[in-house]
Amino acid sequence: MEREVLLSIENLTVRYGKDVVLQIGSPVLIEEGDRVGIIGSNGAGKSTLIRSILGLVNYQGSIRTALPMDRIAVHMQSNEYTDSMATKHIMEAILQTKISRNQRLQELIRYFEFEDCLRKRYSKLSGGQKQRFTIIMVMMQDAPLTFYDEVTSGLDFETRQKLVEKMVTWYQQRDASLCIVSHYYEELEQLANKLLILDKGRVIAYGKKEELFRRYCGRAVIILKHSQEKEALFRPYDKLASPAHLIALPCETEEKERELTDLLLTHNMDYTRSTTDIEMIYTNAKKCTENRLDGGER
Amino acid sequence: MNKMISKYMVLYELRNVTGNPFVHIFGVGMPIFMAILITRISISEIPDASVMKMLSTSIFLGIGAMIPMATILMGYAVRQAQDLEKGIPERMRLFGIRNRVTICNRAVSELIYMAAAFGLYFLAGIFFMDLQAPVLSGFVLYAVCMLFFSIMCFMLGHAVAALAKRFSLTYCIVMMVYFACMIFGGMMGISYENMPAAMQAVARLLPVTYFSRDFYAIWTGETYNFVPMIQSYLFFGAASGILLFAALRRR
Repeated sequence: MEREVLLSIENLTVRYGKDVVLQIGSPVLIEEGDRVGIIGSNGAGKSTLIRSILGLVNYQGSIRTALPMDRIAVHMQSNEYTDSMATKHIMEAILQTKISRNQRLQELIRYFEFEDCLRKRYSKLSGGQKQRFTIIMVMMQDAPLTFYDEVTSGLDFETRQKLVEKMVTWYQQRDASLCIVSHYYEELEQLANKLLILDKGRVIAYGKKEELFRRYCGRAVIILKHSQEKEALFRPYDKLASPAHLIALPCETEEKERELTDLLLTHNMDYTRSTTDIEMIYTNAKKCTENRLDGGER
Repeated sequence: MNKMISKYMVLYELRNVTGNPFVHIFGVGMPIFMAILITRISISEIPDASVMKMLSTSIFLGIGAMIPMATILMGYAVRQAQDLEKGIPERMRLFGIRNRVTICNRAVSELIYMAAAFGLYFLAGIFFMDLQAPVLSGFVLYAVCMLFFSIMCFMLGHAVAALAKRFSLTYCIVMMVYFACMIFGGMMGISYENMPAAMQAVARLLPVTYFSRDFYAIWTGETYNFVPMIQSYLFFGAASGILLFAALRRR
């Protein structure tokens, strides 16, 4: 069944002064039901992309959507509200409803355990509570397309995990499309089915997670923590690009995988096997682009 | 959000206004305190009761102009600058609340607060000062003039905040305008008659001067030449309007 295109981006250029901070040539289509994880290092253009889609920065090129702007919800990296009143009143004004008369809103407040925060002023909320406050209002918009820009940045591990768990469960039962900017790949493992990888303002890869994995990492990958012993043991084998603390071994065939795992078992070494690891996709997609730009071959 | 003015947004903006303690101090407490204090000092050596009444009423009507200046020009401009600095209008826009909706609801809430402030001011005047009762046209004209002056203060406050963008700079500018209006308007001890010619020329361009210098005549239904006062409104309105236009163009 053909899915409706919610957003199409093509030939997009965003400049800050003389610097080109984002340049997207080939079309990027976000379709109904897509859960797109937008990744890239700091300054890659992730937030700029969201800001240009929302019309908050000037751009050249084409961003098309059939959705009116009020049907696109967004949780920005930083969300500020007035400090003159309790959060409850801000919520009621923005959502144009009374909490006591709105079942759906009450459900969301309970779901995100925000009841005790309703009487507090925004500045008195903790980092996690602040994020939950905006998330509740963003979810109440019930928009077909929602952007989350680094929702969990600055939160401690436990708060982050709890928040993502709640978001995953909430969206599992819904068919809304999401675009999630995050530096935490484990969050995207749970929330995203597609990846848009940006580097220095350019798209280096866009597609389904599994397809990108196959394209850049192969059938499966075995990932080990780096050590001199492992480095020596696997010297004769092909390796994928990986962060310095890891060794990534591609398994193009089942036989190859068996050979590697046998060797690991013999030496009693811990390892992880993956067919969707986002860190591997990102590292290898980036490496592949760098090689292409340098005129090298993967 | 499609409705220009809604109950929830007006309540939200009213909470924003009342959440600023300085608005209560400068917009309600200070005019009442100053009107009572200056009146007491000024009439203490006047033996004639009718002159005392006239002086008290003149001071009362003049100091009333501090209310829109403090609540709207200062209070609104400073709050707007704070909001801009924090990116609140942008956040509201992302929730579908357009700027013009915010401005409309703010205007309504500022008007409600100012009406309440004037209510208290008049109550204090009735209870603590010996005021001359107005003729109906005098009272209506005072309300209408105050309303137009408030609208201009709103435009000027919005423009200053939008152009300055920063809380500190906005605060500095509106404080300067506030004190300039008070000094030139004859509310800081030097009456219009005692000002040097250059100061009088500036004072004639400000609507506040007419509240403190001339409004007693209108209040009591005496014959009055409205032309200079209308000219001051046109000047102040044009200045505020040009600044607002520049601020909207810049955005």
